[in-house]
Amino acid sequence: MSSSSSFPASRFPFAAGAGAPGGGGGGGGGSSLRPWGSSGGTSVSSSGKRIQKELLDLNASDCSAGPKGDNLYHWLSTIIGPQGSPYEGGIFFLDIVFPPDYPFKPPMVTFKTRIYHCNVDATGKVHLDILKDGWSPAFTISKVLLAIKDIISNPDPYTPLVMNISRQYLTDRTKHDEIAAEWTMRFAR
Amino acid sequence: MVRFFRSGNVASRVFDRQLLSPRPGAAVNTIRQFYENLVPSYTIYDIDCPDYSFRKFTDDGKYLVAFSRNHQDLIVYRPIWLTYSCTEECDSHDLPPKAKKFDSFFKQLYSIPLASSNEYICKDFFLYMECHQFGLFATSTAQSNDSTATEGAIHGVPSIEKITFYLVRLEDGVILDEKAFCNDFINLAHSIGAYLYEDLLCIVSLRYQTIHILQIRDSGNLVEVRRIGAFCREDDELFLHSHVQSGYGGSFLPGIKQRLLSYIFRKTWNEVPDQTLRVQHLKKKFYFHFQDYVDLIIWKVQFLDRHHLFIKFGSVDGGVSRSTDQNLAFFAVYNMETTDIVSLYQNSSEELYSLFEQFYDHFHANPQDSSHGKFISSHSNDIHALDQLRTIKNKASSSSQFVKKMMASLPYTCQSQSPSPYFDLSLFRYDEKLISAIDRHRHCTEHPIKFISVRSPNVVKFKIKPGLDSGASDSRAKRISSFLFHPFFPLVLSIQQTYMQPTVVNIHFRR
Repeated sequence: MSSSSSFPASRFPFAAGAGAPGGGGGGGGGSSLRPWGSSGGTSVSSSGKRIQKELLDLNASDCSAGPKGDNLYHWLSTIIGPQGSPYEGGIFFLDIVFPPDYPFKPPMVTFKTRIYHCNVDATGKVHLDILKDGWSPAFTISKVLLAIKDIISNPDPYTPLVMNISRQYLTDRTKHDEIAAEWTMRFAR
Repeated sequence: MVRFFRSGNVASRVFDRQLLSPRPGAAVNTIRQFYENLVPSYTIYDIDCPDYSFRKFTDDGKYLVAFSRNHQDLIVYRPIWLTYSCTEECDSHDLPPKAKKFDSFFKQLYSIPLASSNEYICKDFFLYMECHQFGLFATSTAQSNDSTATEGAIHGVPSIEKITFYLVRLEDGVILDEKAFCNDFINLAHSIGAYLYEDLLCIVSLRYQTIHILQIRDSGNLVEVRRIGAFCREDDELFLHSHVQSGYGGSFLPGIKQRLLSYIFRKTWNEVPDQTLRVQHLKKKFYFHFQDYVDLIIWKVQFLDRHHLFIKFGSVDGGVSRSTDQNLAFFAVYNMETTDIVSLYQNSSEELYSLFEQFYDHFHANPQDSSHGKFISSHSNDIHALDQLRTIKNKASSSSQFVKKMMASLPYTCQSQSPSPYFDLSLFRYDEKLISAIDRHRHCTEHPIKFISVRSPNVVKFKIKPGLDSGASDSRAKRISSFLFHPFFPLVLSIQQTYMQPTVVNIHFRR
């Protein structure tokens, strides 16, 4: 890929995966336990291949996402506030970071845009079961994005990250929606 | 253009003025033609004057602003035209030697200390609020280049320990208010980092990427009314605090960036109607460059009117260096009230260039401009200036390079042009490399600068020669000159500085 915007450290994830065994945190995928030079490289590039494939498959879905610069492991996505929800009119940017041992580990998704939502904490982290214990290598990024879209329209107040928002959601929905809409107008336009 | 006066002779023009009436609304333009007859053609060389650095005539012509050489005091003069008295026999053809001094032209009103100890007046910075006769000055401590990463500060921008803006009532030199910025960086050179529009002042903090909007109250107070950067609305931060208990961290996009990115996203989205192609398009045009957009920094800001700001975004490395013309930059029109980006242009945009060519005056409109200020020549109000611009455009090898070069002058630098009629391109022609309405230091040549009549292209109406009369000084020495034109009198100060030599100030006026 050629662009003036290339990142100096764009190949870093490859280097980290191949050059630092164990750097993956004693990973469940097992890929990071492989010794130097054996098939560590292939394992990492297989994550690359997988991401590449997902990138191509994205065309068919209605999710809008893509790599930031030429770093295949760092994506961005945009969620347009669903109509009829208090998030309508908002444009929410999400940061997606793929671990080197993807798809055995889930990608990390954080909001770059402030949102008033019981499943998104004050730092922008999303609580979604499939991004944690519920992760399966069979999931793809478009599945994840669809799940996030879904949770935006239908918050899950029973497994919240922000207790008082979920409490408000359950007890005073009107007030919740009012504040969420105000947040959208202020921070997400 | 039909000329009102048939003759260039001043007496005949006065008769014409009695007999004929100009077209409705054109009276001022017509009367301004008298400036062809009243020119600052007489020069007093190397006038005996105090060793100050003279900054500017205010645009209403009421004050001449100067700073002491140690950059700590402000000295304000009132131009009194040529006023002198002498007892000895007067030669009607020449001025008596006693009259040839600075005090015959200017009366010192006061001298006040603005800066103390390690602070210095930024001698390039001065903004004037005409309706109240307030002057805005800036002092700063030395610049430190160790831009230690402070929270919220961007990397690669130097830091100044303290920058203070002073609002001074020029009438009597009373400091009405001051506003300090600590460990910040504001581009004070040529007042680039600040813009005054009516009673609104915007100051751009480069280091913290914040546009501070201040209001200058009638009482002479500087009141911060808005802060645009991390947040867009003035109560956003308060609002956030009242809803988040656990403190807010995270790496959220700053408010202004969110607006910028969502504008670009929507624009890119709407460019392609087909769903599948759109995803591809966004990937290539939006996500691929996302980080570049995030990394853009606010460079320079001006008001277009009371609600709209014209903001230049550029890369950090274009940063403090001067040659930023060719770098990628974006111009945004931002509405402060609705907090929306209204439009966005790249610095190679033909569309923006055509706006620049046709409506340039809207880029520096200020309803508070003095009547003189309305006559500043530009290519959108003067056919001669437009001709010049078109000539340069046609000569340019690459159109996009030309556009970028022209766009480098945007946003407009506040009060950077002299309203003097001698720069009116419908009256006079002059070499813009040597002199122009734009207030800048210039390299000096040995030859006097000619002002040629536009009506009769062979007639040199007057010449301005900075430096000593003899001209026999070392021609190798690098000389820099600056010119202060009175906004409506035929009165000019030329100041020539030569390395390691005393400054030479000449007064040019109509005797």
